[in-house]
Amino acid sequence: MTAALTRPVRPRRRHLRAALLVLPAVIPVAFVVIGGVGTTLLQSLGLMPLVGSAELSTAAFNDSDELLTSALLSLSIAVVSTAIAAVIGFFTAVLIISGNWGGRIVGALGAAAVTVPHLVGAATVGLLLSDSGVLARLFGVAPDAWPALVAGPTWFAVIAEYAWKESAFIALIIVGTLATRITSYDETAAVLGAHRFARLRLVLFPLAAPSLLVASAIAFAYTLGSYEVAWMLGQTYPEPLSVMALRLFNSASLTARPEAAAIGVITVVLTAVVVAAAMLGLRRMRAWR
Amino acid sequence: MTPTPTATATATATATEPVAADAAPSAITLTGVTKTYSAALPAALQGVNLDILPGTSTAIVGPSGSGKSTILRIIAGLEDANGGRVRLAGRDVTALLPEERGIAMVFQRPLLFPHLTVLDNVAFADRAAGLSRAQARDRAREHLELVHMAEFGGRSPHSLSGGQQQRVAVARALAAKPSVLLLDEPFSALDPGLKDDMHAMIAEIRQAVNPTILFVTHDRDEASAMAERIVVLENGQLLQHDSVDHVFHRPASLAVARLLGGKNAFAGTIENGVHRSALGDVALDGDVASGPATLVFRHEAVTSTLRQPTSGADADALATRHADAAACQRFGPRELHGVVTSTVQRGPRREVIVQVADAEVYTEAAPGHPLSVGDLVTVSLPCEALWAVPAS
Amino acid sequence: MTLSTSNVDVDRAQRIQHERRMPGDAGRPLSQSRGVMRTARIGSTALMSLWFALPFLPLVLWSFANSWSAPDLLPMTLGVDGLTAALANGAVAAFGDSLLLSLIVAAIATPLGAMAARALSRRTLPFGRLVSVLLFSPVLLPPFAAVLGINVVLLRAWVPPELGVILVLVVVAIPYTTFSMRVAYAAYDDGFDEAARTLGATSRFALWRIHLPLIAPALARSAFLAFLVGWSDYLVTLVVGGGQLVTLPLIIASSASGIGNESSVAVLSLSAVIPPLILLAFVSRARNLNPGKQS
Repeated sequence: MTAALTRPVRPRRRHLRAALLVLPAVIPVAFVVIGGVGTTLLQSLGLMPLVGSAELSTAAFNDSDELLTSALLSLSIAVVSTAIAAVIGFFTAVLIISGNWGGRIVGALGAAAVTVPHLVGAATVGLLLSDSGVLARLFGVAPDAWPALVAGPTWFAVIAEYAWKESAFIALIIVGTLATRITSYDETAAVLGAHRFARLRLVLFPLAAPSLLVASAIAFAYTLGSYEVAWMLGQTYPEPLSVMALRLFNSASLTARPEAAAIGVITVVLTAVVVAAAMLGLRRMRAWR
Repeated sequence: MTPTPTATATATATATEPVAADAAPSAITLTGVTKTYSAALPAALQGVNLDILPGTSTAIVGPSGSGKSTILRIIAGLEDANGGRVRLAGRDVTALLPEERGIAMVFQRPLLFPHLTVLDNVAFADRAAGLSRAQARDRAREHLELVHMAEFGGRSPHSLSGGQQQRVAVARALAAKPSVLLLDEPFSALDPGLKDDMHAMIAEIRQAVNPTILFVTHDRDEASAMAERIVVLENGQLLQHDSVDHVFHRPASLAVARLLGGKNAFAGTIENGVHRSALGDVALDGDVASGPATLVFRHEAVTSTLRQPTSGADADALATRHADAAACQRFGPRELHGVVTSTVQRGPRREVIVQVADAEVYTEAAPGHPLSVGDLVTVSLPCEALWAVPAS
Repeated sequence: MTLSTSNVDVDRAQRIQHERRMPGDAGRPLSQSRGVMRTARIGSTALMSLWFALPFLPLVLWSFANSWSAPDLLPMTLGVDGLTAALANGAVAAFGDSLLLSLIVAAIATPLGAMAARALSRRTLPFGRLVSVLLFSPVLLPPFAAVLGINVVLLRAWVPPELGVILVLVVVAIPYTTFSMRVAYAAYDDGFDEAARTLGATSRFALWRIHLPLIAPALARSAFLAFLVGWSDYLVTLVVGGGQLVTLPLIIASSASGIGNESSVAVLSLSAVIPPLILLAFVSRARNLNPGKQS
């Protein structure tokens, strides 16, 4: 009976078994990611026109002023909202890990926020922050005296929605990777004479830093590529990259399709640069470990 | 009235006696410390009193769940006691946080901070206290030398073996300049050979910086190798706090004898200094009170030898004389006759169970006596090994 | 004689003894009393709770408001006008489509992710790192960039829009299922399967009776994450679905872009918030079995 277990399995067969297990996931992912981005790239270069013959051209990238404005706007929104989310997320994680009843309440509310679809988040933040929104009524401010938080020049409501959702995401990622290990390290530091803030600075933060970085990079990438929040709560001009791409995609003009694809390509490149920087940072963190 | 032998009474009395006012204050004093985790469970600690002198090394032993780790965690401030006071060096620290108590603790797992090098781990306490990185590292190097890990300072903790990590953890704790060093089963996860190295390291540290050490272990050999005093706990109650020799050979109760691995216990009564049981009559030294009592002795202290065909009559005569009058010393070691019923080899030693009259006695084969089942043997009980505890 | 060396040791011992920290020693910074810390902790707990709970407030207030004119602090008249309007907008059908879509995505993405995670955790996979990067990439990819391209491919391949939406959402969900299962497999002890096999179980029997029950809680968490991907999606359903599939987010978006629809938007949003919360409660309760490594 045990012969089946001890019989040596040839390495090649083990490789094959592992490959067979992973293929059902790899094939659709490769199809959508490589096929999707590849086609977008071809479209942006004029190689897959809706009508007419294919011809290599960089015309879609020519309107550089417009593209630069949108890219800077998208990056600013992503940087600000991710920074806020990272700070709030880290302190929320510390609160949750501290393990008392307050931490449990915050943890439950954070988990609830993570499950809310971004579109619903945008709808409810709109109801909360608009000039006739719930907050304006709670503070008794008249609509014309209320600052333009929704669809205003500060992109306040967009940033608030991203910061709200992503802070919960970042907090839960940190809690998930640290919760089991952190108490014993915290106790060790305490019995070595380290006070609360020294422990936060010298133990908790460095231990949480890798997962904070990874979670923030994911949040940043999401924010940069997300469409519905900026579309619902943002100004009509200037537009973030994703909103401009979708408007061009849906427009009747023939030249618009390659331009929409070009914005897609630019967004992919921006995301790749930021993620690569984050991975470099992570590697340095590990080396310094 | 309890028939406690007076020698035992004195031994425990000196152990728990409060220190004289002019002496240096105790390093650790627990008074009436009680801990209950939940109303459904029995108390983890029930009114524990403990006094530890500065510069001593004390082991806490007891079965799992006896509350031995809880004592350490309460002294460290990682748990709050439900009642009682904790004093360190004479100051009441019951209300203080762990980091304010001036202690340091080493856990069973090394728990070296993974994001710091070995040297920075040892420098941690000084960094937390606000010293500059360079100053903290200078001091850390001294402590790494103390545990013979100086050349590993630049390494990351996970590149070290378990034993090396625990050495660094001890150095890190010492670098916190603790008034008391607490060790919670520090070496129980290590191989036997490594444990011996660790015990030697602790001995060196004690010679070099003489810290007050209180540690928990489930290993009796480790307790006697690292400590000069042993605290015996069971069910949250302190059974005995005494020197290593006394807890092994002069246990306060049958429970203590059992917990420390004593295998021989014979219930009976004492009359005129002679204990009478299934084993026969055994004279005891010292001023022992009459009444019901249990005779205990360590099997390691009792040897079995192949019986010489002629010695039978002499031994019987000895037995008769023993029955006459008290004081073991007057007659020399008590000798019993019996038959080997089983043997177990434990490393170089051979444990031999001998049937003597109606009783089974755990003994050791004398060197050069490879005994086997059915052999007729003489069991010799040295006077110093004999001890009576109150009947349970 | 070791006198000289022991003298040195005594000096050092004395020096170290003088430096010893005694209980209550002053001069260490950042010392905080329990009282102040407790207040700070309660304060920050309240602040964080407010931060996460505040956006839920308009949903509750507006859902049951028939009329609520601007300056009033609370709705003037309560009622079910919002619900009626939402139902008239096709809320029930959209809710059903959303549920069906999310369940299908979870049912496909969970086993795919679990199998991939198992293969990755065994380290016998060729190009393991590359496969990990590929399977994780959909999280980082801007969805609109991939969707604009894949939409053209799917249209040219005559893939029905509903199937296209499922395919793309399964791909978006696979990183979450794969990596949550990898975490589970990192803590999983193969000894359980080996013990079953040495007791005479076939590999199929060991899989169904030992392996799957032990990883069931992790599978439930994975499936929940995949469900959330389908439940939350707007863009993929909009572009790839091409109007064939009207899910809850789509009618929320169309209601929200109108004026005066607040209570209808709130009712629809509330109905999109509650199902995941119910699932979350179930999933976080299914934690008891612990197939962790036994030391």
